[in-house]
Amino acid sequence: MINFAQTFIDALSLGSLYALAALGIGLLFGILRLINFAYGDLITLGAYALIIPSTEAVATLFIGNWPWFLVIAAVAVVVVVAALASDFLVFRHVRRADPSTLMIASFAVSFVIQNVILMFYGSRPKSVDLWSNLNYQLQMGEVRIPLLQIVTILATLVLMGGLTLLLKRTSLGIQMRAAAEDFRMARYLGVRGNLVIGLAFALSGVLAAVASLLLLSQVGTLSQTMGVPLMLFAFIATVVGGMGSLVGAATGGFAVAFASVFLQAYLPDELRPFRDSFVFGIVILMLLVRPSGLIPTKALVERV
Amino acid sequence: MLEIQDLAVSYGGTTALAGVSLNVRESEAVCVVGPNGAGKSTLMAAVAGGVPPRRGRITFDGKDLVGVAPENIARLGISMVPEGRHVFGTLTVEENLLIGTYAMGDRRHVSKDSELLLGYFPRLKERWRQPAGRLSGGEQQMLVIARALMTRPRLVMVDEPSLGLAPKIVDTVYDALLGLRRERGLTMLINEQSSDRMLKFSDRIYVLRNGRIQLEGPTGELQDGEAITRAYFGFDDHPAPALSEAM
Amino acid sequence: MTETPIRRILPLLLLLAVVAAVAALVTLVGGDEAQLTVTEALIRLTVVVGISIFIGNSGVVSFGHIGFMCIAAYAAAWATCNPMWKQLMLTGLPMFLQENQYPFLAAVGGGAVLAAAVALVFGAVILRLSGIAASIATFAFLAIVNNVYSNWDTVTAGVSSIIGIPTVVDPWIGLAFALIAIVLAFWFKNSRMGLMLRATRDDPVAARASGVSIVRVRLAAFVLSAFVVGLGGTLYAQFLGVVTVDMFYLQLTFVTLAMLIIGGMGSITGAVVGVFAVTVFVEFFRYLEAGVTVGESVFGLPEGSQEIALGVGMALILIFMPQGLTRSKELKLPRSKGRPVPAALTARELPAGS
Repeated sequence: MINFAQTFIDALSLGSLYALAALGIGLLFGILRLINFAYGDLITLGAYALIIPSTEAVATLFIGNWPWFLVIAAVAVVVVVAALASDFLVFRHVRRADPSTLMIASFAVSFVIQNVILMFYGSRPKSVDLWSNLNYQLQMGEVRIPLLQIVTILATLVLMGGLTLLLKRTSLGIQMRAAAEDFRMARYLGVRGNLVIGLAFALSGVLAAVASLLLLSQVGTLSQTMGVPLMLFAFIATVVGGMGSLVGAATGGFAVAFASVFLQAYLPDELRPFRDSFVFGIVILMLLVRPSGLIPTKALVERV
Repeated sequence: MLEIQDLAVSYGGTTALAGVSLNVRESEAVCVVGPNGAGKSTLMAAVAGGVPPRRGRITFDGKDLVGVAPENIARLGISMVPEGRHVFGTLTVEENLLIGTYAMGDRRHVSKDSELLLGYFPRLKERWRQPAGRLSGGEQQMLVIARALMTRPRLVMVDEPSLGLAPKIVDTVYDALLGLRRERGLTMLINEQSSDRMLKFSDRIYVLRNGRIQLEGPTGELQDGEAITRAYFGFDDHPAPALSEAM
Repeated sequence: MTETPIRRILPLLLLLAVVAAVAALVTLVGGDEAQLTVTEALIRLTVVVGISIFIGNSGVVSFGHIGFMCIAAYAAAWATCNPMWKQLMLTGLPMFLQENQYPFLAAVGGGAVLAAAVALVFGAVILRLSGIAASIATFAFLAIVNNVYSNWDTVTAGVSSIIGIPTVVDPWIGLAFALIAIVLAFWFKNSRMGLMLRATRDDPVAARASGVSIVRVRLAAFVLSAFVVGLGGTLYAQFLGVVTVDMFYLQLTFVTLAMLIIGGMGSITGAVVGVFAVTVFVEFFRYLEAGVTVGESVFGLPEGSQEIALGVGMALILIFMPQGLTRSKELKLPRSKGRPVPAALTARELPAGS
């Protein structure tokens, strides 16, 4: 039972991280049909933004030394600017392309960001001490919970709540939801395409920034591919949850995390190293059995 | 008010419109009749900025519309109801109705206008807070027409409002359009496959087939329907002289 | 369509001649380093032509083909590396592989057949998915291959390398296989299956109405394409003498897709041009990164600029020439008797998307 509770909280915290990243990917897919591979590199970029650019082996904190709210704000600004730039320079010019071409374009953006980071920061992984006091463990009965896990879960709840309010209650949010569902029709009604898309990139940038800070305080090491695995799992989460649905993306994030944490805990020893294969296998299965995902995008449409 | 000259549109290799000229004057109701695939929807999409023309001019009050983004064309006062309804299924009826006023940031007349429109379509009021995806086809058609009018457009384009609807609902839809015309002096461009209803409803009719205008004229002169039928089915099928010039 | 057989295969002969001439020229004139570059480029050509057999004909983008390359390369490594090393490090291999060392061609054939067999099973499962869903599934496949080969320690040596593979692949062997790949691709493209597949790509509804089973023809292309990519994989292993699982992941997927897109996804000529263009481009930047002496001082581009330039180049092609440098057309002679090459030989555009 204790073991189960511990595993459950592990899954919840991992799921929060996946859900955050999945929301960022889902936002863009909903509006642009863009599966943004560069999303992982935006996460990486957010983490690198904390230190002074140099190719030396030792990392010197710069933004990372500021108070926590300034750190979040500054990293968010950096990542949002990069996200908007990727739209402005690349994605805007391939709007009419099919999803596979968009995916390839994002591949190119990803490749460029990774190598820009390599150019300015060098290829060696660097250890960074961000908010290490979050590793403090809370004792609750027999269960020990690292503070970081609680912070991760809370941060996700706050962001998801904020995002929900924004989308449900504000004029821009309602326009975004309309655009996500039928971009062309929304524009016929006066919704500004580039405004909505820019907003989607900006919001996904904010989510990436927070994800990168949480990820970095967890792993403690910078490397120029650090965001890639997170992006892969988040991407899978959006497929599992139902591409284009934000509720689906969040649900998918938790579903994938629970699958992978519980597989890790309960798979036989000799199969445990292949856990990720099972998770990716689930995705293929999902595509075959329920291609619209756990939460289908379109509400049921009755016909006369 | 709306002037279209020699408009040509093609998708990939196929030509959808091959030199169409058409105009709509202030407070007129103009109808484009034609069989499936004639290019009616393409015509509207081109006016609304949804597809780029290969050739030709489109002006609205003398302003050139070619190359203008759809959202800016909407701001000039052209509102479009495309074929197939296109409600935002996960948004509520209310949100659907208000989306244009949100987008244009003009919320002065919202309560007055929505009251007026709900007077025509009382069923929408009953469903005010439900997701639009749950509405019946007829209700969705009412919603998209009401939605298009919320921003007080000067020209409304409706693409096949009767497609796939029961005759009774079609009546409701046209009664509403007629009422709004009287009340607001609304200018309209409507696509339909069949001309029967249009002979009563519209001021002028264009017959479109194979991407070309085959016939045009005031409704009064076409009442017997004979000329329309011939143009519609192409019984005397030599390309009209004006069109071979246009090529 | 009345045409003489010679006219029909003329584009193929032309393409083979150009590839052979360029490769032979650089090999004979250039030094050792040029030979290595040519060999690697020819292996990549085999792989990229292999990928284009599937993508070019079906219009479905696959992110998983480097997984087939990985499978075949490891199979070749199992077959050819030193038995003593195998018995020490790869104790999970079946005895016939552990105890023997097989000749080059057996390794090539075995590896490619294994890749094709995996493609048959996997393709049968996923190819009824449409467009982007199929692409996502191929991506998941790549991730699974990477995960399995990274962790199956007793068979793949995990994330460490398998070493001691005889390096027998020289430019001429590379050339031979590249030419075989081109011939296979050309043959498939103009076969009944290939024509049917391109019909399903251009108009799935009409194709289905005419009774073409999309899944079956797609599967045929998928298996053949995995086989050719597999050939490339086995060559790569026996060219480098070492295989490591991370050689066959996102980076190589990106580079090969970049080649295909830059050249033009819809044609075999596109694959060839793409490999050539990217190789020249990369070599040029590698040269600049190494440093150019101008008078007294040496100017060198910083590390990473070659990759950045490749990414930027690819984005530019996607934006300005979405059909690639060749516009996805096959090579053809200047029009001699006024008759253009029949439509069957020139790829039509990929569908512009929904």
